[in-house]
Amino acid sequence: MSLLLQGLALGVLTGGLYALLASGLSLYFGVMRVVMVAHPAFLFLAAYLAYTMHTAFAADPFLTLPVTVPVFFALGVAVQRLLLARLAPDNLAMMSVLLTFGIALTIEGLLGTVYTGSYKSISMDYATRSLTVGGVHLPYDKIIAFLVAAITLAALFAVLIRSRFGQALRATIQHREAARLVGIHTERVAGYGFGVGLATAAVGGTVLALITPFLPASHWAWIGKLMAIIVVGGLGSVAGAALAAVVLGVVEGLVLVTIDATWATMMFYVFLFLTLLVRPQGFFGGRLAHRF
Amino acid sequence: MRIASRGLLVLAAVLAAGYPWMVPNYYLVYAGALTVMYAAMATSWNILGGFTGYVSIGHSAFFGLGAYGTGLMVTRWDLPWTAALPASALLVTAFAVLVGIAAVRVRGASFVIVSIALVSMTNLVVQGWRSLTGGSTGLQVPSPFPGLHRGQGHIVFFYLFLALLALALLSWWFIGRSRFGAGLRAIREDEDKAESLGVPTAALKVAAFALSALFVALAGGLYALWFGSLDPIFVFSILTSSYMVLMSLLGGVRHLFGPLLGALIIAPAGEYFLIALGETQIHLTATGVLLVLVVLFMPEGIIARLAGRRAGAPSIPEESAGQRLQGVAR
Repeated sequence: MSLLLQGLALGVLTGGLYALLASGLSLYFGVMRVVMVAHPAFLFLAAYLAYTMHTAFAADPFLTLPVTVPVFFALGVAVQRLLLARLAPDNLAMMSVLLTFGIALTIEGLLGTVYTGSYKSISMDYATRSLTVGGVHLPYDKIIAFLVAAITLAALFAVLIRSRFGQALRATIQHREAARLVGIHTERVAGYGFGVGLATAAVGGTVLALITPFLPASHWAWIGKLMAIIVVGGLGSVAGAALAAVVLGVVEGLVLVTIDATWATMMFYVFLFLTLLVRPQGFFGGRLAHRF
Repeated sequence: MRIASRGLLVLAAVLAAGYPWMVPNYYLVYAGALTVMYAAMATSWNILGGFTGYVSIGHSAFFGLGAYGTGLMVTRWDLPWTAALPASALLVTAFAVLVGIAAVRVRGASFVIVSIALVSMTNLVVQGWRSLTGGSTGLQVPSPFPGLHRGQGHIVFFYLFLALLALALLSWWFIGRSRFGAGLRAIREDEDKAESLGVPTAALKVAAFALSALFVALAGGLYALWFGSLDPIFVFSILTSSYMVLMSLLGGVRHLFGPLLGALIIAPAGEYFLIALGETQIHLTATGVLLVLVVLFMPEGIIARLAGRRAGAPSIPEESAGQRLQGVAR
């Protein structure tokens, strides 16, 4: 029983992090109907930058955020405006995947050349201990990851719901033509949407560096996981992806403590295929993702 | 014109068949065999990608399954390789039918996601199932030709891959002239309209998916026999599928020889990068940048570029009414 509780608690904590990692993907799909395969590669780019910060300047990895968040925002805008916006609209879904796939390969190759292909990790002394509540051990690094993810997602939702930019962004996601009719510069908004999505990758990657060792090829394993999350949640729905992330995180945590790691990861794909067979538009997304 | 192009075809075939005897060393035979292997796989990929427009980044799953299937049948069941190779390819094709039934229910982005997930899943299973596959330590497959030395082995496998390439090209050519191919093309142009006209789109897509998996699985099986040592991380690498996609796109997905042309450019370039730059990962960057450039500037491929210049503009506009409207609105 305590084993299950342990799995449940860890699952909720990692699920929160998954929600942050997948939120960018939902944004991209929302504003442009594209699947950004390079998102996990950018996550690990951020992780390596945090690693450099930690080893070269002996600084806390979170101190990279004031630099990486704006840089990643600019990169996101550039990727959308300079690359994705140039693709022909008739086969955008397939071609955008290939384009971002090429970006992912480019980043992986550069990371491998600069940092070599071996595992790197960041261990902070505050991250090695764990908190024990009622027989359940909660590692501090997972708690920190959850809190950072929660704060970032709260900020993201605040921007999306409260700000004028957020309203324009949501209008663009809901109906592009209608948004243009009421005077929203949808192209520019889509670019900023990509910027915001990639900015979440800067935060997510830094957190990821703290809790797991990584190598340049690590992003492949995450593509499948994060894709499963956004499909189960309903493509394009940020809130749906967050919910699906926590659900899948809990399922993964429970399978991890009861069976093994292979099956825990396999759960993502099982859920992905079940969702596509039973409800291709996802469980929390609704009309938007229909027929994608 | 017809005679000239036929003559060119015969000449190319003769040159290909004579290649191992024209090069000065066994390394070039090895590189040639690798190139022909990629050409066969890209042509096979193009049975799905070219006709239906469904881009799969998951075909390395079939490559890996074909390789492991053949390897396991040879090592665990002591089957002769001539039986193990087709048996495992057929098993993989049956598996592809099952996957296809789930995968072709979705279109566009979701289909690509499914195909990526397929590679991750199969990789996970093969690595996790240690008792059967040897897990991440890999699987050793005995050479089917113990009498030959390595160089002679390269020559034999060069011809085996060449035969596979011919088979894949012939299949593509036949499909292109058949009713089946016309149905697949209809799916590419407008799936909903095709369906409303009575084209059994789901069945056709599954058939194309399975058929394109078949030749890739055969290539995987041959690869297992050729290299003799299988590493799940390499065999189930998403990079293999990205090469198939890149080669097909670069050459031209709507043309019989497009993937072959792409393979003749990409595979030697890859080998050259490996020699010139050593075992660094920068070749990934080269592949990635090339893919971005092709997608941005030449998504219709080299052959279409060359042919299009000569034939002039098509009589039916390439853009849809919606695009035309967008252009006017801007």
